[in-house]
Amino acid sequence: MFANHDNSGTATTTSYRVVLPFYFYAAIAFLVATVLLFLSTGDLQGHYFHPHTLAITHTMALGWGTMIILGASYQLVPVLIEGPLYSNRLAYVSFLLAAAGIPLLVYGFYVFDVGWPTQTGALLLIGAIISFLINLGTSMVQSKKENIHALSVFTASLWLLATAVVGLLLICNFSQSLLPAGSLSYLSLHAHMGIVGWFLLLVTGVGSRLIPMFLISKYTHTKTLWWIFMLINTGLLAFVFLFLYTNSRWLFVWPLLAIAAAIVLFGHFCFRAYQERIRKKVDKPMQLSLLSVLLLLLPILLLILIVVWLMLSPAVNSQLVIAYGFIVFFGWITAIVLGMTFKTLPFIVWNKVYHDLAGKGKTPNPKDLFTQAVFNWMGISYVAGFVVFTAGLFLQQAGILQTGSVLLLITAVLYNWNVMKLLLHKATIV
Amino acid sequence: MNVITNNTLKSTVALAALQDVVDPEIGLNVVDLGLIYQLDFDEHAGKLYCSMTLTTQFCPMGDSITSAVKERLKLAFPGYEVTCELTFDPPWSHAMISPEGKEFLNEK
Repeated sequence: MFANHDNSGTATTTSYRVVLPFYFYAAIAFLVATVLLFLSTGDLQGHYFHPHTLAITHTMALGWGTMIILGASYQLVPVLIEGPLYSNRLAYVSFLLAAAGIPLLVYGFYVFDVGWPTQTGALLLIGAIISFLINLGTSMVQSKKENIHALSVFTASLWLLATAVVGLLLICNFSQSLLPAGSLSYLSLHAHMGIVGWFLLLVTGVGSRLIPMFLISKYTHTKTLWWIFMLINTGLLAFVFLFLYTNSRWLFVWPLLAIAAAIVLFGHFCFRAYQERIRKKVDKPMQLSLLSVLLLLLPILLLILIVVWLMLSPAVNSQLVIAYGFIVFFGWITAIVLGMTFKTLPFIVWNKVYHDLAGKGKTPNPKDLFTQAVFNWMGISYVAGFVVFTAGLFLQQAGILQTGSVLLLITAVLYNWNVMKLLLHKATIV
Repeated sequence: MNVITNNTLKSTVALAALQDVVDPEIGLNVVDLGLIYQLDFDEHAGKLYCSMTLTTQFCPMGDSITSAVKERLKLAFPGYEVTCELTFDPPWSHAMISPEGKEFLNEK
């Protein structure tokens, strides 16, 4: 019994030094996005193609959503592939490239300078995505334990790369006519490659692993997850094909139905995992994450409205498009990030601070490292801000939009309070 | 799940000590969670061998949990050389949670 034992299961996790900068950056980006939203409410009552709207959208999509997903992925990839991350250094390179590229891109959009700031920003971001892909791909090959979760993250990252390349083409197309039509014509293609290919595929792939894990649920159904993966990818590929090669608006119903079916299946998967959970009490961060699954239905409903509108009218309804974008970035993506931050960051910080003290005395619980009351108020201001702002968009009332933006700004301040408290936590042991 | 041991008496003491080591995410101790597979004692050589698992391989909290188990065993058996090893054969499953653990999670 005391001879050599197989120790192949020794856990090697990603260094917190790689992961924490992503969380810090994302928190600041969320604050910046809500400040920009507060300053630009008037612009959201006009056409969706506005410099300030583009700046807010990219701050939310890249600085907030993508940065926190990249950071969390570096922590979660070892869990998904059951093997270590290939390179911490490459992960840090991806942070530096994205951290430098995003402000350039956002600044370029805000002042609508589609010259060097946006082009350099986009190139740096593409470099960051390629670093992420190399790191993820090599980790997967070395672990030899590919599964639907890891495959979803890898495929989603390929879609992110494609989105960024199309984005760079659209930027360059403003000054040099590279594409057959103007950049505005391709905005829907760029947006949906990012929203569906990157965010939706990644959230379903990772969420289907994390949600049962955090709920301690007995439910697993790999076949459903493969269906979700296939429906999203075939739906999106069909959309890209139809976008580029046909003029019939009716045909867009098919990719929309495929993606809607994937969302319904994912919702069903989460519901079954919730039903078959062993831990009965669901904590607040998890409640917020589950709310985000429900919020997925709203953009689908709006997208159906937009497609129906397009069939009946030759012009795009700008109000619907802005509401759709707002619900995607400030609704679904923000809800999942707000919830998952406080399911992952406290554990990363706890590991950093208490790893060497484990078992030597009474340490606080990870959930005690942030202020629960601040989290609760953040949740209340977020839900209120989201509802009020969405109502303002439909009613086209400046006062309601301003109120909603103030509530979302409060949400970002409270979120930052707790994130900074976590990041600055020092050891307390009894 | 029953823990394999070559010394039932000492194993009872060890398991009582390990009740203090809690999985930080779940809030349940490693014994009721079913993470401890084996506890063997070599009284002459003063050695204690512990074989355990984690709820998921490459769990970010894995290193901290195994360190805590090792420290607690050292405290419970001063002078013993403690070896703590991870295994994922068999992998952990919900069926390994003790009835007390299940009751705790239902109440939580």
